[in-house]
Amino acid sequence: MAILNVNPTRMAMLGLKKKIKSAKRGHKLLKDKQDGLMQKFMEIIREAKRMREEVEARLGEAFKNFIRANSIMEEDFVEGALLFSTALMELSVKTKNVMSVRIPQFTLKKEGEAINYGYLQTSGELDMALQSFQEVLPLLIELAEIEKSAEALADELEKTRRRVNALEYRMIPDLEDTIKFISMKLGEMERGAVINTMIVKEKIAAQEA
Amino acid sequence: MNYKISIVGTRETILGFKALGLEPFYVSEPEAAVATLYDLKKERAETKGESHNKYAIIFIMEDLMSAVTDDDYKKLTADPLPAIIPLPSHLGSSGYGLKKLKTIVEKAVGMDILN
Repeated sequence: MAILNVNPTRMAMLGLKKKIKSAKRGHKLLKDKQDGLMQKFMEIIREAKRMREEVEARLGEAFKNFIRANSIMEEDFVEGALLFSTALMELSVKTKNVMSVRIPQFTLKKEGEAINYGYLQTSGELDMALQSFQEVLPLLIELAEIEKSAEALADELEKTRRRVNALEYRMIPDLEDTIKFISMKLGEMERGAVINTMIVKEKIAAQEA
Repeated sequence: MNYKISIVGTRETILGFKALGLEPFYVSEPEAAVATLYDLKKERAETKGESHNKYAIIFIMEDLMSAVTDDDYKKLTADPLPAIIPLPSHLGSSGYGLKKLKTIVEKAVGMDILN
């Protein structure tokens, strides 16, 4: 509850009235944006949690396979075998606009074969490990997409909430108070002027008598 | 636009991902991981004369995230790309990823409503 530092004139009051109108409109728009963001965020966050849990379980399994392969074979052989991989990963990214938040959408493009080595010197575990890695990878990409989106939405939500609160609890009440203050001041001045004329009139009447 | 995917971790863990076509960066110390993350974020590539981030996703092993402070994390994830995603290593999940999700929820909603 503070009164802004303005001159108590009719001009200033008109300016403030314009300001409060746009503040109220901005508040409504931001509030709608906040609701929209929240709705989207709720959709995403539960999905994100489910994805993460699934990925963590499956990735643990894949790592276990890989470690097993590593322990059976000599490290140089493992590395040598993996050098033959012709696999190439490329990601094409599109951004989607949700309530002015830019959300990435990943599409994976795979080329080549990861298992491209001779079977003679490598163990079956390595094949299995690579197989499981290959299966997990699309999930990883999806997780990345969802988590990044959730993060971006959360950021924007926080910002929007601050803006809404600043307008609702600070800007709009301040403007209202100031307008009230100015209108009261103007009324007071008007009454003062009337009283002044009445006094002057009394005096003139007293002189004539 | 085409982007690459990179993975940061210790040699023995991410060797397998190399075979899948991800770009591996071998790091064994958490401190070095922070520097690597900053470097990877800065890398640019060009397609059709347009400059963009080289990497769209950076996977990093959870145990290497310990030296990444909240400030660093904020700076690293401020832009739309790259997405920095912590993954559990072969040692198993430390719950870091879920904790991160929790902080995201708290930031957005004001309280933790998961589980």
